[in-house]
Amino acid sequence: MSEEIISISDLCVRAGRRKVLALQNLSIQRGEFVGILGPNGAGKSTLLKACLGLQRGVSGHISVFGHALADLGFRELALLRRRIGYIPQLLPGRMEMPLTVREVVAMGRTAHAGLLRSLTRQDHRLVDEWIERLGLSDLAGQTYGAISGGEQRRTLIARAMVQEPELLLLDEPTANLDLGGRERLVSIVEELYRQNSLTVLLVCHELEVLPACCGRLILLGDGQLTADGSPDQVLSERRVESLYGPSLTVLCRQGRYAIVPAVLSHA
Amino acid sequence: MLDLTFWMPVMAGGLVAGGSSGLLSVYIVGMRIPFLGVCVAHAALAGAVFGSLAGLTGPALLGAALVAAMIASLALGLADPQRLNADTNALMGLLFSATMGLAFIGMGLFPMLGRSDNDVRSLLWGSLNFCRWEDVGLMLAAFAALAAFVGLFGKEMRAIMFSRQDATAAGIHATFVWTGFLVLTAVVMAVNFQTVGGLMIYSLISNPALAAFQLVRGSGKALILASILGATSGLGGFLISAATDLPSGAVIVLLSSVLAVAAMAVGRLRRL
Repeated sequence: MSEEIISISDLCVRAGRRKVLALQNLSIQRGEFVGILGPNGAGKSTLLKACLGLQRGVSGHISVFGHALADLGFRELALLRRRIGYIPQLLPGRMEMPLTVREVVAMGRTAHAGLLRSLTRQDHRLVDEWIERLGLSDLAGQTYGAISGGEQRRTLIARAMVQEPELLLLDEPTANLDLGGRERLVSIVEELYRQNSLTVLLVCHELEVLPACCGRLILLGDGQLTADGSPDQVLSERRVESLYGPSLTVLCRQGRYAIVPAVLSHA
Repeated sequence: MLDLTFWMPVMAGGLVAGGSSGLLSVYIVGMRIPFLGVCVAHAALAGAVFGSLAGLTGPALLGAALVAAMIASLALGLADPQRLNADTNALMGLLFSATMGLAFIGMGLFPMLGRSDNDVRSLLWGSLNFCRWEDVGLMLAAFAALAAFVGLFGKEMRAIMFSRQDATAAGIHATFVWTGFLVLTAVVMAVNFQTVGGLMIYSLISNPALAAFQLVRGSGKALILASILGATSGLGGFLISAATDLPSGAVIVLLSSVLAVAAMAVGRLRRL
């Protein structure tokens, strides 16, 4: 029997008087890989932040790992957040402080170690392991600000993975990456999902970012849930046309999807 | 020839004030909040002004400055920029202008009440040459408290410096640690005011980190080097001023600036 990781009902998020997200019911089961797609301002990032208890102006019910966020004190909320790996949409800006890649990755163990305690040898081993797994070994001593955007993304993924999360929230992880960088990151995310028994919520603009293991697609538009199902069910020609306009079509090859101009699909 | 009995505490004061300010500078420059220095300095000044008007002198006056600086720091620490929809620097600007207004209103009251504001002015400009062993002891205690805090909460501070929101999202008690750091900043700055001065301390909480960040990688090395550079500015500035008969405060500030520029030049050469 599957276990509910996230349960949302009657959720409403407001920014001032404006309603930015309204969801009646949403449930994410353990082990699911869920893509969350929608145009700018659809409420995708807001949904992730609401699940972390970081979003202001929230009413309704959100339960994560069986705990209602509204009922948690700051200590319990902090404990719950340690089980969630979060990779934000915006990378921290230019860094003044010359933090090394290794230091940034190690931040993922900070909360686990606890206040007034140093990282243990095991923590450091885990940090080294994820640095290696994400191909960052040669960069570990470099300053975070000096590496490329793709390498910075991989560093943030390593930081999230050293938390040993059960739930991974990725907010547009391929933003500003070139095609090669995007594909490498998609492979990494797919590998992480397959090897680590994770539940993944991946927010993106483009279908191409979704790996073949993505079994469920949630479509948000204007702060509302407009579709929820398998990619095949959600990506009907009619829906794509209503979302992005005419003359576009959906391509599917080996579980990966892309929206392309219709003329290209005949080529 | 220096009379060491008199000048030893002065040199020790410069060394300790520079070292503690240098340590602070890593976080202040790292988080791009150099405005914190003037903000806390003016809050302390307002506290000293109203303390002096209330008849406080000596250590009690310093106590009033310390309390005001800590209140300002607590307010900054507990204010949530996201909830208030305002940048941390903008909040500091608000607090700075309010405390500056209060301080200057208070200073305007001295002549009206026929009182001298010399005690308050010496806090604003500082007077390293009058630093005594008691002052050094206080500054050393504040430095030790800051060093202990960095030792105990260094990993949390690193994560907060990288991104406060990410730190919170990962389950780190960011508000607790950040507020603790700000309160300690207020303590270190307030006890350094009487020797370094509210205005001069601004350079010592920026330049050492600016220099260190050019020369080393990693937060641990940056903390050590910034502290050493701050202490070098404090002691070296005093020694140069004693040899040249120039004002010690100005020489300390200039030396820290020269060290920062030199480090930037070295950093640039190494990158070529």
